[in-house]
Amino acid sequence: MTGIEYRDRLRRQMLPHILCPGCGHGIVLKALLRAARSLELDWDRTVFVAGIGCSSRLVGYIDGCTLHTTHGRALTFATGMKLARPELTVIVITGDGDGLAIGGNHLIHAARRDVDLTCLLLNNETYGMTGGQAAPTAEPGAISTTTPGGARERSFDACALAVAAGASFVARGATSLPLELDGLIARGIAHRGFSFLEIASDCPEYFGRYNQLGRGPEMLQLQRRRLDEVDRTLRAKRSLGSRRAEGPPPLRTGVLHERPA
Amino acid sequence: MAVAVKTKETSEVQTEQLMTGCEAIAEAIRLADVDVMAAFPIRPYDTVMQAAAKLIANGKLDCEYIVADGEHSQFEIVKHACAVGSRVFVGSSGVGWFYAFEAIAVTAGLRLPVVAICGNRALDDPGAFGTEHNDSLAVRDLGWLLPWAETAQECLDLALMAWRVGEDARVSLPVAIGLDGGFLTHSQQLVSVPTRAATDAFLPKFDLGDRLLHPDNPITIAPQVDQDWLMEIRRQNDAAMRRAIDVITEAHADFKKLFGRGGDSPFLDEYMTDDADVVFFGQGTLALPMKVAIRRLRAEGHKVGLVRLKWFRPFPTDEVVKSLSRFKAVGVVDRDYSFGSPHYGGVLYNEVRSALYSREQRPTIVGFVAGLGGREIDQSMAREIYEKTAAAATGGLSAGDQCHWIGVRE
Ligand code: SF4
Repeated sequence: MTGIEYRDRLRRQMLPHILCPGCGHGIVLKALLRAARSLELDWDRTVFVAGIGCSSRLVGYIDGCTLHTTHGRALTFATGMKLARPELTVIVITGDGDGLAIGGNHLIHAARRDVDLTCLLLNNETYGMTGGQAAPTAEPGAISTTTPGGARERSFDACALAVAAGASFVARGATSLPLELDGLIARGIAHRGFSFLEIASDCPEYFGRYNQLGRGPEMLQLQRRRLDEVDRTLRAKRSLGSRRAEGPPPLRTGVLHERPA
Repeated sequence: MAVAVKTKETSEVQTEQLMTGCEAIAEAIRLADVDVMAAFPIRPYDTVMQAAAKLIANGKLDCEYIVADGEHSQFEIVKHACAVGSRVFVGSSGVGWFYAFEAIAVTAGLRLPVVAICGNRALDDPGAFGTEHNDSLAVRDLGWLLPWAETAQECLDLALMAWRVGEDARVSLPVAIGLDGGFLTHSQQLVSVPTRAATDAFLPKFDLGDRLLHPDNPITIAPQVDQDWLMEIRRQNDAAMRRAIDVITEAHADFKKLFGRGGDSPFLDEYMTDDADVVFFGQGTLALPMKVAIRRLRAEGHKVGLVRLKWFRPFPTDEVVKSLSRFKAVGVVDRDYSFGSPHYGGVLYNEVRSALYSREQRPTIVGFVAGLGGREIDQSMAREIYEKTAAAATGGLSAGDQCHWIGVRE
């Protein structure tokens, strides 16, 4: 969708935004606004709900009906809203820490119930807002302020989790493929039932710096390389603690699972 | 993250380093040789867990360290690690602390000496990070010991005291150290860090004795007693809390002998009170601006001082009564609120009044709520607190004069 005036959809009094230079989250916000435009969503009947964290901050910038909730609980607020007002289009923005750690339980149950919501989970493997701690999506070996010697635990495959829990639409997008992302978000919103989208985003400020992955542009290039790696079965071969030695894990985007709700 | 820039040997038992309150806590974790700690990011607590993670990565601390999936799990993990005999550490702040509340409540009931910090922070609707004491104070009735630190040095000292007192078999209760978010957690000060050997002389190894959950010692922790025995269990908590007063006094004396710090009283820190007519009473970093105000007021001839409370639980009733009975008026400054409480005062105000009620000779007590959400208590506010308290001492106190909010924009 071209020719969109983003400024018409942003709260200008909230600008400049707090995102760091090169943060991937801004790319997602623009893609979301383009997707909303392409669907011609009724802006007065669309609600954006978020939890806590850098990704959740995005709703603060959208000039529309928004709700900034407590850590991990965005999906519960959204569920209540959808039950009370089924005519609303409810879109949840969450992050890996918010949606998979402290709010993980809500995610699996929202998926199991297959509530008609769209959940965008921005995955940058880190808690950015509190200073770069390891999130449950941090790949083994990842350096963070809580894992200065490298993460030791296995990480979540958020999409596989959503499929297993019962979500009827599951897709993965990436900030380095913004046009594909527009389409995926639009399909997710149009789908009736629980739509889960994991979006590979980047935190150059902490994750990039600690893992020496460069600034925003370099991290986007790295993402592209991960997309190219997808056919090689590196992920299966990788063992704990060897992430950086074997290179970044491959990334597969697109609709991964879809069934009628 | 800031690291110590300079290490100065000050004696055989300690060295001096520059660090924040959070880093001082991390040093205490290293010195106490903590076995298990649980982390989950929330400001301002997160700086402690990062400093501890660094100590582990640098080989200076051998500790199981887990990044939990939320605060509730964080507190559950250490509670059970403690039940099998591990020395543990945990912490949180503000709403994160509240999310862990179920685990926090039962930790005291189970008499497990978990040591925590609560990096005091406003209970936000999302967005407020400044200090307020209501997060810690929410557990005041549950059986947690609650000391409050003023300086980075006191963070370290109180943490070592916390393991010693909490793990003492006569007490066996959890401890949550209050650290004012921002003011104390993130500002650097010079701290004397004890050596490991000196710490060992102060802090014995953790031994749960016959309450250790172990295959060789088959016992039940948290048995299902229904209502039958609950009152007796609560009464045991009460007795332990009463015994804590003496155990703190002992620990304070030993600490002072070893390290030469801690002041005259384990519970109160008095500043320029010898000839004072009026004193401020409060806890935490509030003492810093109040001390400046006292020096300025004294230069003008006002006889004013400060009494700072170091342990809120157990509340040192006898010491507080003995100290405050010496003055004409006391201005209690609460960095907390207690909506709808007697006289609409803060928590500390009502505790102090209650402690003094039965005394024939008691000072006039005026309550102040100030510095909420981390708002700085500046010199004009301190002066206003002084003037209102001094006026009450001479002019009697009308019902409307009992409690005041200071520095509120109208
Ligand atoms: S801290 Fe990381 S995730 Fe947060 S705004 Fe900065 S770059 Fe983005």
